[in-house]
Amino acid sequence: MKKRYAKKLMSATLASVMVMSMLSGCGSADSKSTEATEQTAEASTDEDIEIWSTNNGYLPVEAGSELYNFYKDIIGVGIVQPYVEWNGGETYLEQLNLRIAAGDMPDMFTPWNGVETELIANGALLDLTDLLPEKAPHLWESIPEDVWDAVKANDPTGQNRIYVIPQVMSYGRNGAMIRKDWLDNLGLDMPTTQEEFVEVLRAFKNDDPNGNGVADEIPTGGRAEARWMGQLFGQYGIAMWEGYPQWDIYDGELTYSAVTKNMRDCLEWMSGLYAEGLLDPETFLNDKAAWDGKINSGVVGIWEHLPQECYNYAENIYNGTGVKPEIAVLPAISAPGYEGYYTMHQMNGGGFVVANTDDEAKIDRIMKVLDAYGNQDLWMKFYNGVEGMHSEVVNGESVRLPDDPSTQQNLVLVPFNQIATIDFQVNVLSSQLTDDRAWAVSQAIENVQENQKYVKSFAGDGMPESITSDYPDIANRTLYIEYATKIITGEYSIDKFDEFVEKWYATGGTEVTEKAREWYAKKAQ
Amino acid sequence: MGKTKMKRTEAGSGNLKEHFKRNWPYYVMMLPGIIYLVMFKYIPMLGSVIAFKDYSAYKGIWDSAWCGLTNFKKLFTYPDFYKILRNTVVLGLLKTVLTFPVPVILALMLNELRNAKVKKGIQTIICIPYFVSWVVVGGLVFDIFGIGGLFNNVREFLGMSPLLVMQKESWFRPIYVLSTIWKESGWGTVVYLAAISGMDPSLYESASIDGASRFQKMKFITFPLLVPTVLTLLLLNIGSFLTLGFDQVYNLYTPMTYSVADIFDTYVFRVGIQQAQYSFATAVGLFQSVVGLFMVVTFNKIANKVSEDGGLW
Repeated sequence: MKKRYAKKLMSATLASVMVMSMLSGCGSADSKSTEATEQTAEASTDEDIEIWSTNNGYLPVEAGSELYNFYKDIIGVGIVQPYVEWNGGETYLEQLNLRIAAGDMPDMFTPWNGVETELIANGALLDLTDLLPEKAPHLWESIPEDVWDAVKANDPTGQNRIYVIPQVMSYGRNGAMIRKDWLDNLGLDMPTTQEEFVEVLRAFKNDDPNGNGVADEIPTGGRAEARWMGQLFGQYGIAMWEGYPQWDIYDGELTYSAVTKNMRDCLEWMSGLYAEGLLDPETFLNDKAAWDGKINSGVVGIWEHLPQECYNYAENIYNGTGVKPEIAVLPAISAPGYEGYYTMHQMNGGGFVVANTDDEAKIDRIMKVLDAYGNQDLWMKFYNGVEGMHSEVVNGESVRLPDDPSTQQNLVLVPFNQIATIDFQVNVLSSQLTDDRAWAVSQAIENVQENQKYVKSFAGDGMPESITSDYPDIANRTLYIEYATKIITGEYSIDKFDEFVEKWYATGGTEVTEKAREWYAKKAQ
Repeated sequence: MGKTKMKRTEAGSGNLKEHFKRNWPYYVMMLPGIIYLVMFKYIPMLGSVIAFKDYSAYKGIWDSAWCGLTNFKKLFTYPDFYKILRNTVVLGLLKTVLTFPVPVILALMLNELRNAKVKKGIQTIICIPYFVSWVVVGGLVFDIFGIGGLFNNVREFLGMSPLLVMQKESWFRPIYVLSTIWKESGWGTVVYLAAISGMDPSLYESASIDGASRFQKMKFITFPLLVPTVLTLLLLNIGSFLTLGFDQVYNLYTPMTYSVADIFDTYVFRVGIQQAQYSFATAVGLFQSVVGLFMVVTFNKIANKVSEDGGLW
């Protein structure tokens, strides 16, 4: 009897432990947040400024490290950055949210996915309106006044204050690229119509353009969630930024490009390409590493990315296969009845926001960093980074070494990418034309300029993310991804598109569209 | 009976002091466990209060405004709520019905093996996957079913065209069940084998004398004696019926299989952690826990009815 009682008691305790652990909810999140704080705690001191920005696998910046000293020498302020994986913004946002929830925001960080809206509303971010002209004049002047006006207009509190340093690109950064050497190998001309384009895809698939005797070529493709497929969406005049449908004027009104007839026709066409095997069958399973890996191993014919960085692909293809590829910009192609283009995104979200603080000395240090960030005289230095790690000196001039995440620290300040002009891009690239890299870098110089012929801006450029913040599924484009990918892979027939549009409007699309049009009417005034 | 009664009064109000005096080493031994429980399980539970608040990370828990049941209303009127509930229930059922019996069968089979070395060897081999993280298993599964993976190579060999099953809705559930069996059943088997090895050998001896065959021994001795263990583990499983395990689904699904794979855990992760809608995510989590508690209590009652010693309490 006694024994049984003890057993029951023990089991009951055990069961209550189970139940409690269930009730306490997401255990994994707790452990992650402590992990994140631990990582950073050892790195920063009070004097240093902790800055979070995009990191695609490079080494962190710890106090006392080479890049830390590099920034300290130039700016006079120590900058630290823990390793936070970017992963398309997903992991970054997760880690950032955990730090914010723990009440320990980084001093300065790149906002993502509208995270700044609520912070501004709660007074968690520093009001930069008066500080910038006074303490960071270089940055103030580097960004055009109308952009500052747009930033003010997007202030979620409606007070017309500046909290966000915007990312401005005054040129078309993204575009489609094609293996020109493959066209030459097969004796084909650069395609200019959709018909020719499809013929080229077929030839790429069947005629062994890389000449290795194996039918391993992938004519074109993209990444999971139908990202980086502007070479196809662009043909139907769809405003699409890296896989995120944008808002543009369709049928005379500001509309989400995913729910337009353009999208319907495009998806129908793409499903045909997929069925024929002209799109990478694994497109929707490719993450960045997988898709880049395919391009770098010299089996992809046409892809969308940054023409200014195509030298990376060129060098990787050369290192991997021994073939020096010729990468050219694919001219924007128009589907019948549409006007094709590559989407140009001038106001590309926020570059940085600053955590609110009363500490005057700290504000001064942050403003020093921001001033240097906007100082175009320093941009070349920021670009070249640490000598011996990011760059080397050839004939008395600094030249960047090939990108290598395993040995290079993450460059925290990259104003030339965030307040970018095409002139600076071309200048930067022109400084890198050493004997062994000239063949690849010169392609990038040519391509970034050529791409400007085919880019077009869109009406919804600069629309704040707060417009969709009450509708996480619309912000995540969950419904769009599901229907678009299933239609392309043939799981759904194109008729399902109408169901998607209906559902999208019914689950918040109507409200979001209304808000977006209101915003646009204000902007147009 | 009288003895129990006496014991109760002894432990009751009057002699509490004496009771502690006599038993204090046991209480000291329990202390670390209790402190752990309170610190990591009970105190965080207070955080569930944000399910009823419009929580803002910057304002903190106390200064955020109360919002009543808004978050729950939002959950139940969320257009995809039924989809997620259905997915969770279906996957939970599949897990309970298809994968739960596997270790029991495996243990009964292993128990019949004569060669101890073979038995130990098999036991070790089927146990190893349990220690592999779902991240790794997810990677393996994606590789096996990718272009150039084992699955499509076999298809190619048989003259069939490649099939990317990881982006096919209809394949998600079978893959979910199979990967669970592969990873988890070895571990469960060990638990049952331990229970079997603790059974009284005299029962088997007397059965042998009565001329029982091996199969009869399994049927009439091993299995019935195993039932209480099975029931206990089943109950523990059922408590987490709606908490299927985030890491497995997260590492196996793709946006193309969300419609059958998205469960509460993954939804909470995407909306709660990634979109920072903490209050809403907590409301979902609380809903899950309440359902879990309800199921444990119900099934415990049923188990108590089925066999006297069956329930947890």
